[in-house]
Amino acid sequence: MSELLVEARGLGKAYPKVHRSSDRLRALGRLLFSGGDADRISVLRDVDLDVRRGESLGLIGANGAGKSTLLKLITGVLTPSTGSVRVRGQVGALLELGAGFHPEYSGRDNIAMAAALHGLDGAELRRRLPEIIAFADIGHYIDEPVKHYSSGMVVRLGFAVIASLKPDLLVTDEVLAVGDESFQKKCVRWMQDYLDDGGTLILVSHSMYHIQKLCRHACWLRDGEVAMAGDVFDVTQAYLAWHERKSAPQEAQPAVDRHNVEFSVLGMSLDGRSGEQPLLLDFGAPLRVDCRIRSRDDRVPSVAIGVTRADGTPVYGVSTDMDGRTPQRVGTGEYACSLAFDALPLLPGSYTVRVHPLDPEGVRVFDTMERTLTVRGATREFGLVRLAHRWGAPLAGDAAHE
Amino acid sequence: MNAMPPATLTLRFLQREFRERFTGSLSGSAWALLQPLIQLGVYSFVFVHVFKARIPGADAPGYVPFLVTALWPWNAFSEAILRSTSVIQNNAALIGKVALPREILVLASVCTSFAVHIAGFVAILLVLRVGTGDIAIRGLPIALLLYVPLFALALGISLACAAVQVFVRDLAQLLGQLLPLMMFGAPVFYDRALLPPAVQPWLSLNPFTFYADAFRVALLHHGSVEWQSVAVAVVVAALVLAAGIVVFRRLDAHFEDFL
Repeated sequence: MSELLVEARGLGKAYPKVHRSSDRLRALGRLLFSGGDADRISVLRDVDLDVRRGESLGLIGANGAGKSTLLKLITGVLTPSTGSVRVRGQVGALLELGAGFHPEYSGRDNIAMAAALHGLDGAELRRRLPEIIAFADIGHYIDEPVKHYSSGMVVRLGFAVIASLKPDLLVTDEVLAVGDESFQKKCVRWMQDYLDDGGTLILVSHSMYHIQKLCRHACWLRDGEVAMAGDVFDVTQAYLAWHERKSAPQEAQPAVDRHNVEFSVLGMSLDGRSGEQPLLLDFGAPLRVDCRIRSRDDRVPSVAIGVTRADGTPVYGVSTDMDGRTPQRVGTGEYACSLAFDALPLLPGSYTVRVHPLDPEGVRVFDTMERTLTVRGATREFGLVRLAHRWGAPLAGDAAHE
Repeated sequence: MNAMPPATLTLRFLQREFRERFTGSLSGSAWALLQPLIQLGVYSFVFVHVFKARIPGADAPGYVPFLVTALWPWNAFSEAILRSTSVIQNNAALIGKVALPREILVLASVCTSFAVHIAGFVAILLVLRVGTGDIAIRGLPIALLLYVPLFALALGISLACAAVQVFVRDLAQLLGQLLPLMMFGAPVFYDRALLPPAVQPWLSLNPFTFYADAFRVALLHHGSVEWQSVAVAVVVAALVLAAGIVVFRRLDAHFEDFL
């Protein structure tokens, strides 16, 4: 196994609560004379993290989940409140916008300072300066004070310095987002080359596209704790599903008195499993939905079965009466039906399968029961489902332009 | 943390400090020499021609050389402390994004103040030597040597102040009031012999008193300094520096939480 570059054990960070200036004085006294401190707000708790040489880790999480704090702890900008973090090798860090540039100085001066901060001496800097300036590609702005730069230019400059360093471990925090399209591409290409050459990357991004493209592993932070870590596709899908569920409209489910309505769902199962746990399915696998409906007056119901994404976006819905079918009577006032998808084309992600009994005319909905379905798979296709497709030979001549 | 060559880094910060002071002014670094000369002109006009200040005694030096030999070291000392107290706070953006040994910021700031004022000091001594002949220029190496413990003293105080300033922002304001008090509590503008005998020993409690006296002994052969007090001054400077480092190290890890 390759060398362990980052090793965090039980890592935690808490900030002191400082409301009034007298709090600061008290904190100072405590730090100087006793060492213990009281009121703290914890932003990161119990993080265990291993990053080996050659690995690429994506850090994802909602705003305020502690991603930047974790990066700052790794780079040594912050001191851990609990636990420990050990980092071997040279670290190139690009934390947030600005990367520690001084606004009053020219790009050239800031490059010199950044290079010194990363341990380059004067001769080394002179050797690499043309390369850095070429990578940043900001023209005559290189001699202007950084305060006159656009945010994209600041990132270009910061990235150019890091790129020339080729550090053992590269740590970047959501910097690609501000660069323009061509610079993003340049950075992604550079990072891919860097990873191919055995570089190690920790990338924070809200772009799952970048995370999936560049990282093999991912770690999802939620409220300062590791919610999930592992393969990049598993983690990003779980994370996106969580977001979708969060943004789903919280419909107040009317409390259905299942014994008094005309039709109600007695139970449902996915692939024969009736538990509440989400069903895990591989992309393209078959799915079978079974359900039993109670009919108060022993009338034959219609049954609708639908699939929605975790945020409530409908994907597909079909009912027995649409297809000219009727549920089977299995007992007094009890009906059952079964629906099979031979190869479910849902793209990896989290979905909800819903069952609704309807009146025989297929007009009125009486009840709802749902189960969660998670589709796994390593694909970067977009959307909800895979549409049948094939790439063909291009049209000859100008036909394509007409 | 990265393996840093602190020498290169300190040098960069020094460069930056220098430029911060002199860019924007037309004459650039010439200003570093011009400024003390103008100040010298003002002092000699005000004190000698307006106040008619004189140092008592038959072979006493003129008032201007008397003042200059203590005031310039004081300027280096007080400016170093005042400027470096807010240096951590002013570099919050850098500290929040890059891991670096923060002592370097204080060190660079103190070095700059001393470098600027020592250069001015030497220039003024040369001018006075040519103009009045009062200055014993052979004492210059000893005078420069005196800057070593003075630098240690200033660095120690600066480290502690810069660290505490992160937590208690009033410190820089307070120092602006305290430092002039310390100056007037040392024989910078006046001769110790002019004070009532009962007060004179108290002056020795002020750490700068030794330096005011010692610089004059070296450059003007005025007054006297015992070896004993040299030893005390060196020990005090070393202790203050050590204490400053301890305080700084202790608070260093928590800067980010309070900046």
